[in-house]
Amino acid sequence: MTTPTLIYADSNATTRVAPEVVEAMQPYFGKEFFNPSSMYEPALHVAGAVKTSRQTVADFLGGVDPSEIIFTSCATESNNTALFGVAAANPARKHILTSAVEHPAVLEVCREMERRGYEVTQLPVDRQGQIATADFVRALRPDTLLVSLMHANNETGVIWPVGEWARITKETDAGIMFHTDATQTAGKCPLDLTGELAQVDLLSFSGHKMHAPKGVGALFVRRGTPMRPFLLGGHQESGRRGGTENVPYIVGLARACRLSKEHAEDMQRVARLRDGLEKKLVETVSHVEVNGQGVLRTPNTLNLACHFIEGESILYELISRGICASTGSACSSGSLEPSHVLRALGVPFTAMHGSIRLSFSAYTTEEEVRVIADVFPQVVSNLRMMSPYWDQKKNQPREET
Amino acid sequence: MAWEYSEKTKQIFMDAVQGKPGTHLGEIENPDGEGKHGSIVCGDAMKFTFRVTKNDDPLKDVIVDAKYLTFGCTSAIAASEALCCMIEGKGLTPIEALKIQNQDIVDYLDGLPQQKIHCSVMGAEALEAAVVDWATKRGVDLAAQGVTLSGHVPEEDEGRVVCKCFGITEPYLRRKIKELNLRTIEEIISALKAGGMCGACRYAPGGLQDLLNETWGAGEPAPTTLASEPVAETGPSPFQLYRKIEQVIDETVRPVLKGDGGDIELIDIKGWKVYCSLKGACAGCMGAARTLQLIVERSLKDQVDERITVIPV
Repeated sequence: MTTPTLIYADSNATTRVAPEVVEAMQPYFGKEFFNPSSMYEPALHVAGAVKTSRQTVADFLGGVDPSEIIFTSCATESNNTALFGVAAANPARKHILTSAVEHPAVLEVCREMERRGYEVTQLPVDRQGQIATADFVRALRPDTLLVSLMHANNETGVIWPVGEWARITKETDAGIMFHTDATQTAGKCPLDLTGELAQVDLLSFSGHKMHAPKGVGALFVRRGTPMRPFLLGGHQESGRRGGTENVPYIVGLARACRLSKEHAEDMQRVARLRDGLEKKLVETVSHVEVNGQGVLRTPNTLNLACHFIEGESILYELISRGICASTGSACSSGSLEPSHVLRALGVPFTAMHGSIRLSFSAYTTEEEVRVIADVFPQVVSNLRMMSPYWDQKKNQPREET
Repeated sequence: MAWEYSEKTKQIFMDAVQGKPGTHLGEIENPDGEGKHGSIVCGDAMKFTFRVTKNDDPLKDVIVDAKYLTFGCTSAIAASEALCCMIEGKGLTPIEALKIQNQDIVDYLDGLPQQKIHCSVMGAEALEAAVVDWATKRGVDLAAQGVTLSGHVPEEDEGRVVCKCFGITEPYLRRKIKELNLRTIEEIISALKAGGMCGACRYAPGGLQDLLNETWGAGEPAPTTLASEPVAETGPSPFQLYRKIEQVIDETVRPVLKGDGGDIELIDIKGWKVYCSLKGACAGCMGAARTLQLIVERSLKDQVDERITVIPV
């Protein structure tokens, strides 16, 4: 199979490493290879690079204190550290409040906490992926240890008012810690931990969703937050995360943070491309639903549920035309169930398996989106011509379905 | 993390190690004052000795020679050298020399990294011990001279450093936690400063919380939460409180808001905290949150209970 030029529309899965980031990292694989903990002069320079990077990430998060940044290996580690670390420091509290649509890096940790005797409340979402604030308020308890609610959902892109929920949490009980997984907003939306998110105690994100490489992440821990270290075995990160600093990747993450500011205008452009594509596809494809329609979303994400066809076959049709996307369908996931996010949204069962996520980046071009707009309706049409639930003659769903 | 020393610190260290003329490495035989501080267990130790020109009045003794032997890091050696430079040949009496505080040593070195401040403390403590030694030998009553000693760390307090920012050890913390009946990290910070700077030792393994748990048992204090501020037993029951709050909102607050095309929804009540949401025209109003604070909270405080606070949702 010869694939034409690849159109990458799966940026919520990962992103290409920006050339500027590669360039910034390069010296730290070569002559700047030293361990930042070593005492000699050349190593001091490497330690200085880590220090500068910490400052850059602190600035990226709205001008927090650099000592509030812990470098990790990924957002999953950041989330594990936040949840297990906060629990270990507050053994008297036994209740965790989260949502039904969190990333597994939070949900699986919560399940493990249940096995260890904690009680977990998973807040439900409505059809557009939103949580009723009243539900959130009523779920806060006297023994609540931690609230962990994502900033934006990886499948739908729906953004939650976590700053507002953090305020309500802290006004209810300053002893409840508020964590947010901001992996899907970092690099796409401003993260202001001294402004809108000033009441958030812990925030996770990773590098590879924002044009840094895989294998580096960060956890913001507001000063005074009770948290025991999760990864033991070294004095690094002020004793809060052992392990020799991954210097090239930390430098790369910092460069990507600076780059995201340069990309801010591109993100507005991407939002317009996404909105245009959504409009066109809703007009040209029948029986399609937008998951997260009309609510605040990350600028790059479009999640569509196509009735009567299966997502994995849509993906294969798309890739044969050079388009990379992803699906929440069961067949793709290794388990036999469709995505927990789509189920929580209450996507109709006829469309549950036909969900497609298109997610763009600052490097996405207008031409690429135009190709998708042309190809997508053909793909859906082709597959419906094969679907037993579709009346091929009338080109509409069969009456019995 | 490697330490970032000032140029002056590095220079003083290099000069001292190379034994350049004018540096003070060594030990004075039969000194007039000798003081030790630190131990090899802690990772740094200093022996400080000085000689005086003796006067008939011991209070007029003047330090003419000062030397040190130091086991320790770059900054410990530099601090020791700095101390001698600051004392020798300045015509200081031992009691005048005591005015040199650890901060003076830090300033002399153009600053020290936060976690190395204890090196300057070691210099100041060794100096104090040496002056005490001199006073004993010369029959000077320091207290009578108005000298208050900062008190050097007794040997039983030497051990693993828990709070690196202030150089506070585990045995000292264990002793003080019991003596002062310290029950929380906040109390430790207020009383001993330990954990008050970078905070890394608070929840670290073997850190402040662990020492508290080991001293008082892991039986955790009840969380200070909503549960600990119950609607008083003598006060209204939760049901009565809810009815009263609802009544005030219905009769006092809602009519005012409806006049402006708005409305209010009571979301929840937890203890004395009342969660409300503004609806309609009021919700979009710039001062929505303030409106809640002003109208609703005031009404509820006046008509139900002064302890009520309103949380806008």
